[in-house]
Amino acid sequence: MLDRPPPTDIAIGFRDLTLGYDRHPAVHHLDGEIENGALLAICGPNGAGKSTLLKGIAGTLAPLAGAISLPRLTRRDIAYLPQAADIDRSFPIHVFDAVAMGLWKRCGLFGGIARGENAKIREAIAAVGLAGFEARAIGTLSGGQLQRMLFARLLLQDAALILLDEPFTAIDSKTVADLLGLVARWHAEKRTVLVVSHDLDLVRDCFPQTLLLAREAVAKGKTNAVLTPENLLKARSMIEAFDRDAHSCARAA
Amino acid sequence: MAKFRYVITLVVVSLGIVSAWQTEVQAEDKLPVVATFSILADFARNVGGGRIVVTELVGPNGDTHVYQPSPVDAQELAGARLILVNGLGLEGWIDRLIKASGAKAPVAVATKGIKPQQMNEEGRIGIDPHAWQSIANAKIYVANIREALIAADPEGALDYRANAEKYLGELDALDKEVAAEIAAIPPARRQIITTHDAFGYFGTAYGFRFVGPEGISTETEASARDVAKIIRQIKAQKIPAVFLENVTDSRLVQTIAVESGAKIGGTLYSDALSVPGGPAGTYIEMMHNNIRELSAALKD
Amino acid sequence: MLLHDVFVAPFVEFAFMRRALAGALALAVAGPPLGVFLILRRMALTGDAVGHAILPGAALGYLVSGLSLGPMTIGGLIAGLAVAVGSGIVARTTILREDTSLAAFYLISLALGVTIVSVRGSNIDLLHVLFGSVLALDDATLILLAVIASVTLAALAVIYRPLVLETVDAEFLASVSRSGGVAQVTFLALVVLNLVGGFHALGTLLAVGIMMLPAASARLITGNMTAMTGIAVAQGMLAGYAGLVISFHAGLPSGPVIILIAGILYLLALVFGPAGGLLRRLKPGQHLEA
Repeated sequence: MLDRPPPTDIAIGFRDLTLGYDRHPAVHHLDGEIENGALLAICGPNGAGKSTLLKGIAGTLAPLAGAISLPRLTRRDIAYLPQAADIDRSFPIHVFDAVAMGLWKRCGLFGGIARGENAKIREAIAAVGLAGFEARAIGTLSGGQLQRMLFARLLLQDAALILLDEPFTAIDSKTVADLLGLVARWHAEKRTVLVVSHDLDLVRDCFPQTLLLAREAVAKGKTNAVLTPENLLKARSMIEAFDRDAHSCARAA
Repeated sequence: MAKFRYVITLVVVSLGIVSAWQTEVQAEDKLPVVATFSILADFARNVGGGRIVVTELVGPNGDTHVYQPSPVDAQELAGARLILVNGLGLEGWIDRLIKASGAKAPVAVATKGIKPQQMNEEGRIGIDPHAWQSIANAKIYVANIREALIAADPEGALDYRANAEKYLGELDALDKEVAAEIAAIPPARRQIITTHDAFGYFGTAYGFRFVGPEGISTETEASARDVAKIIRQIKAQKIPAVFLENVTDSRLVQTIAVESGAKIGGTLYSDALSVPGGPAGTYIEMMHNNIRELSAALKD
Repeated sequence: MLLHDVFVAPFVEFAFMRRALAGALALAVAGPPLGVFLILRRMALTGDAVGHAILPGAALGYLVSGLSLGPMTIGGLIAGLAVAVGSGIVARTTILREDTSLAAFYLISLALGVTIVSVRGSNIDLLHVLFGSVLALDDATLILLAVIASVTLAALAVIYRPLVLETVDAEFLASVSRSGGVAQVTFLALVVLNLVGGFHALGTLLAVGIMMLPAASARLITGNMTAMTGIAVAQGMLAGYAGLVISFHAGLPSGPVIILIAGILYLLALVFGPAGGLLRRLKPGQHLEA
């Protein structure tokens, strides 16, 4: 994939990466690397391509150009949490079964869920504070409870690379604190965690590193050095410029 | 808006002129006659010979009961000088169609003077319109058509009388043939099942019993009770054969035949002729076909 | 003895009743589980659209060789799949959403089907294609229905997990597996297959009924997926059996009565259904679910 053998501490590499839908790119010409064990926030204005980038890494969206390399990981090592709004909560499925989906890689199409794994599922549900909710339909959960359930599914996935898309939006502060505790635990376990968030205060408090995105990388590095007023202003004006030139840009691509 | 209306008027007027012109050209040539369905059209062709041109509204193998008129049909009617209908309620749609088409031609009812039979199906009693299935009735059809043609085209009277004379002779011969064929079938075996109750007049004329699983109209859906009844009946009365008919669902008859052990006969034609050159391209061919199929299934 | 006469005797005395029952049960085993998924995926009208879409294919098959099983089945399958897959492609490549393109495709199909049948000049046959004939199932048709039911259940077992996940959380499934697309296409193919099988027995329009009505009713009765599928199948079977018994004793047409029974069960669930029926919603002192 690369000409030289990749340095062992690289989790994700981007080479001239362009991602988008149809022929409209949302992320342009991204280069750079994310090292193993990083706890990285991805910030940027609306329309900056944050969710798109996450989908690209998760492999649910193929690049229009360029490449994403995962030198030490396979798709099986990735756990991806899409935005909660994408979930159909009216589907009649229980919390237990929904969390059990995190075992997909081990069970696949047919595999039954073994006794030991049953215990694992209960453990994960308890770890996110939902013990006793196993038999509840997901439609009866509050926003915070649903997000806890999805984190339980992530726990089961036991992945080396964890991608979270706006996991702290529209939920109560107690839940945010609990879930941040889980994120910190994953970081301590040397997993690589990428979190899309628009809450800059939360990012400053809890994430050592940040990637500021405005369709292309504006800045990347230590959070305090990235989230400066100048960079944020630059990011906003870049998005506005993109919106103005969107047509010609799309054609050029 | 005014301009639009003017254009429309112009179009309508010119269409009227064109169609009037077409009608005239036809009229100079041959008498345009419209018959509602194929059997009537066949009678008319035999009587009219080269003097008339016959159009049928419901073509070969079509079902006159559930026919949907098309605009072309209305045009045909408007251009006709004589309209031939069966009557006895066969063509429920014809009055509205004639009115809608603005046709001025006289309407001749071919069954005039025929003693209507009733059909009784599950308590509902109605007039049986399939009068042509008796050859004696067919002769009345021919006579009525002859008179209607003479009234519409008096100059052709000699031709029409001569043609009708010849055709009536053929029908007499046909009648004798059919009677002879049926005489060869043992009386106890002179009963069959068909999907459509269209052979009432044939049955009366030749001492034959026809039983159908479906009701008076082809529009009815069969119920499990109807099917059960007919199977019980076949078994109880030892009916030797069931016949498929050219216009209704054959799968049901096959089911009944298999379950009751009755023989499956060939295709009988009752409501419509086949395409020209087929087994029942004309009325005489249709009757030949039917009696041949009946004999084949019922003779020991 | 009387009960025996009413409920058992018709099937003992008549082979066609046994065949009709076998056919109806085969349809009731495979159709309703698909209906449950259609409802949960908010695709309830897809069944209807595909049901209409089958017509021109079946009509072409009929034109080629009359009321015969093979060509009509194959024609119906091709037309149904073309519309189901075609509208999916249109939804992905144009600004039209899937429901719109589905509606457009099936209207075209229906008009095409009626035209094809009418061109032949015999219009009565259209009724038989539209209404089917559960009382006239021959061996080949019964075998076809049994095969379709088996294939459907087996395939559904294979795609069950990805299909559930694809419905609940499609993005997540896409991130762990590529089976989502396969599951979707297989599912649509099963819907088409069952409607094609169903139209031999019930006709293109009513075949949708045995799929959707028991499923909709089961959704009102339980919030548990497994129970929902089981209840839907049970209702489909009950409708098939009761419909035939009523048709036998009351002299009513069998196909429509079967669907009417399914409809009555649905209406009962609509009022009394413990998982979202009218009465439950009106009961005071109980919280409504979100």
